[in-house]
Amino acid sequence: MGTRVKAKLKKGIIKLTIQPSHAMTTYNQAEKKTGNKDDANFITHLSGTINGETVFDMSTSQFLSKNPIFKLKLNGETFKKKEKIIVTWLDRKGNSEAITKKIK
Amino acid sequence: MQRRKFLSLTLGALVLAVAPASVRAEDYRKLKPTVWTAHTVDDAIKNLYGTTTTIEKGVKLSTPDVASSGGAVPVTFSTKIPAKTVSVFQDANPEAAVIVYSVTKYDITDYKIHIKMGKPGTITVVVEGLDGKLYSAKKSLDVALGGCEG
Repeated sequence: MGTRVKAKLKKGIIKLTIQPSHAMTTYNQAEKKTGNKDDANFITHLSGTINGETVFDMSTSQFLSKNPIFKLKLNGETFKKKEKIIVTWLDRKGNSEAITKKIK
Repeated sequence: MQRRKFLSLTLGALVLAVAPASVRAEDYRKLKPTVWTAHTVDDAIKNLYGTTTTIEKGVKLSTPDVASSGGAVPVTFSTKIPAKTVSVFQDANPEAAVIVYSVTKYDITDYKIHIKMGKPGTITVVVEGLDGKLYSAKKSLDVALGGCEG
């Protein structure tokens, strides 16, 4: 496990890169491997907060790549460098990870 | 006992009614579970938005014309339309839905993701505008190596 998070504030825009290391097993892959579709596991929800306020939020499926990469842009005018962004993901099996990172 | 049950029920209902208003972001897997099990793009869009009528403009979508590996196809999409949600679908896998963004007020709707594609297919991006209309863009691409394994 481990999630790479990069948050860079420049000219009022926060550029965000998030890359969780996750197998993202599809139902078909799970069936092939273990014979049980229910062994599929993938990230189902990913969101981020700054100062307790949700800044992005996504519901995701099995068809994102292995170790999926997410890039997005946020309006950063009301935020400052060194403020903390907290990125949280949750997978189908209930595992979750929360990563705190300073905005650079 | 009866009364207590009634009370807890109303309280529960109240919490349910209040929650979506206070939390703007929504979990579309819980809210619209049928979106994720739909096998065709049209069905998935219909399950999410209630209609398949979209206006094909205002959404930028770019992918390679030929993806070298189906395991991680880079997909970039953006829109200037004030949006409530942005969603991505494809027709190369058993189910159609890939991702649904619940757009926040901080969100500059400009995204990049890597998706799996088992075979060549078409990617559809739908933007649900704050005006209630649906906007979309489509792009077909070839996959040189179906690395998706399903």
